[in-house]
Amino acid sequence: MRNDLYPAGIVKELLKTDLVAPNTKQVLNDRLTKDIVLIPHFFTKENFATLQAVCKRLVPQPPRQQPVDLAGLLEEDLFTGSGNGWRYASMPEDKQAIISGLTGIDDTAQDAFGTAFHLLETSHQDSILSSVQNGTAAGKSWALLPVKLFFEELLAKVAELYYSHPSVKEEIGDVSFADNKGWEKIGLDQMEAYEPKIIN
Amino acid sequence: MITNTVSNENTAFKLPGINGMKLYSNDDEVDAVVIGTGAGGAPLLSRLARAGLKVIALEAGQHWNPSIDFATDEVSQSKLFWNDERLSAGSDPLAFGNNNSGTGVGGSTLHFTAYTPRPQADDFNLYDEFSVGVNWPIGYRELEYYFDELENFLGVSGPEHYPWGSPRQSSYPLPPLPLNAAAQLMQRGCKALDIKTSPAPNAALSAPYYKEGIGWRAACTNRGYCQAGCTTGAKASMDVTYIPLAIHYGAEIRPECFVTHFENDPSGKLTSVVYIKNGSGQRQKCRFVFLCAGAIESPRLLLINGLANSSGEVGKNFMAHTGMQVWGQFEQEVRPYKGIPGALISEDYHRPGEVDFAGGYLLQSIGVMPVTYASQVARGRGLWGEALTQCMRGYNHTAGINILGECLPYPGNYLGLSDEPDDRGLPKPIIYFSQGENEQRLTAHADKIMKTIWEKAGGSDIWSFDRNAHIIGTCRMGNDPRKAVVNKVGKSFDIPNLYIADNSIFPSALSVNPALTIMALSLYIADNFLAAT
Repeated sequence: MRNDLYPAGIVKELLKTDLVAPNTKQVLNDRLTKDIVLIPHFFTKENFATLQAVCKRLVPQPPRQQPVDLAGLLEEDLFTGSGNGWRYASMPEDKQAIISGLTGIDDTAQDAFGTAFHLLETSHQDSILSSVQNGTAAGKSWALLPVKLFFEELLAKVAELYYSHPSVKEEIGDVSFADNKGWEKIGLDQMEAYEPKIIN
Repeated sequence: MITNTVSNENTAFKLPGINGMKLYSNDDEVDAVVIGTGAGGAPLLSRLARAGLKVIALEAGQHWNPSIDFATDEVSQSKLFWNDERLSAGSDPLAFGNNNSGTGVGGSTLHFTAYTPRPQADDFNLYDEFSVGVNWPIGYRELEYYFDELENFLGVSGPEHYPWGSPRQSSYPLPPLPLNAAAQLMQRGCKALDIKTSPAPNAALSAPYYKEGIGWRAACTNRGYCQAGCTTGAKASMDVTYIPLAIHYGAEIRPECFVTHFENDPSGKLTSVVYIKNGSGQRQKCRFVFLCAGAIESPRLLLINGLANSSGEVGKNFMAHTGMQVWGQFEQEVRPYKGIPGALISEDYHRPGEVDFAGGYLLQSIGVMPVTYASQVARGRGLWGEALTQCMRGYNHTAGINILGECLPYPGNYLGLSDEPDDRGLPKPIIYFSQGENEQRLTAHADKIMKTIWEKAGGSDIWSFDRNAHIIGTCRMGNDPRKAVVNKVGKSFDIPNLYIADNSIFPSALSVNPALTIMALSLYIADNFLAAT
């Protein structure tokens, strides 16, 4: 696997130029300046703390001025979004599924280590998440929830929210949004002058 | 009869081609109501309007103005997907939404990749060749005229000599779109393996293009965000092709109308279409109904209303193309967000010869948008933590190959109504889908081929994402009213003034992307209807 690095600030610089269409600029700037959620609107405090801790382990963020507020974005998407058009029939409705799953993760933590998930050290958090991913998580709260599917759904959602964030585009050198003039250099090893080059 | 036209002052309509659009009242008995404005509804709508019929299209989604309303952003563009929840069951539950289902004037063509190969003649006779599935009641010969017409009208960009299929009456009207990095890599890998490739036919313009009734459309600028909506009008989605043409000929497009019911006379003929607009019920009188809502919503509407189902086949024969994708990492810069995503094609495995499955598949190179790729890495590889973020750091070096292959119908794969109501109080559809042995064998064959192509092209960290794509079947067309929902011209066996024209009527899946064939069927059904009435 690669571990490429791209120059800092590329995304914000491009957003100031007319290489980005006005409507795209607005969407990305809105996302960039969105307030972080300190107090959950819908989740219980306990579930939200679990979710924040889970997100930190699913997508460890490099040091940045303002980490992407994945838990806040996920809460907003879940409770005000329009959905994604489907769900596994074996899963409960989306909101219920995530509440049950987060409660399940916390119960598993309590059973195994006698403390809340978000207070555990990261290696223990990871071992619990692995047990959820491979379907072996123990605890009564998992009885009604297909454990592996819950993990897949949560992970996919978190990954989608993370990689749609302008701050993260920089992490992977994604300047796909700077397409207002289209692209001329599209072949192998061809790049426009304003496409960032790897620096390591 | 015509009560109004759209004027410049009406700020709800700022769309090109919509000024001067005829408007009918609910009490006007129009000749036809078309339900859905995608690849099934839009071509037919323009045909009926051109013949002078009074026609209205009801569309559940909005009428977008792409240059103003669309952003180069996958999350905000999810408004183009059919996001009402469907329940996915079976051993290979199918993803809907961004995978295959659209909403808005233009339907799923708003987010299709524009890939428009023709089916081959043998695709229509699967049973004759393999003794599985069924034959179509019509064949390539009946649709060939429409393929020619469509490619010319849409402005399909393609090679001068397409190396597979029946000899063509005419070549593609425009030269192929340029090959992006993924296409060049696939070309390289295929060459080493002696697999023939060709620039793919894509319904996106490689040069400016003019059509009467529409005007000029600009050439593609190689934005790779086709699946998030085209902002330039280069992609031949219905909203910039058949919809403006239909308006030009006098059709009314009525967006944000969700059809729930029909009214009928004692003989069973439909007399009006009932729909919800702005939260209130409306009733449009009409003489004929064309149901073009796609392979989920068309059968769902019929099942909810207990209509057109004397055969018991509504919702049955649900199919979804085998669509495995194989991703690889390359040393070179790929930047997979540039260029038409599916720039290269091979149909060498259309009928692969000595194999243990029926049918075959095509191969296409694919670019990918970043969030779509992240989602696949999460679901397909289950990567999280540092493994996920490191994998994603290779995004700019990622290229894909995809198959599009046959899928057989099975008794266990069908659409039904769940007991869970949606926001409108209508039952959510539940779709059962499991790959059969044929799909598994075909996919295993393709998996090996694609991985070898990427190895030969210099790829590393090669992995496959198994998936099924386009949804097909559920209102099968056929000659026997006991086994099919509509006859060979799309007319319901049960209701004399109901036609269905979309991917639901496909008797078999065909081993190509369905959009071009849906449009051809749409025109074919319209012409047969006009000839008969």
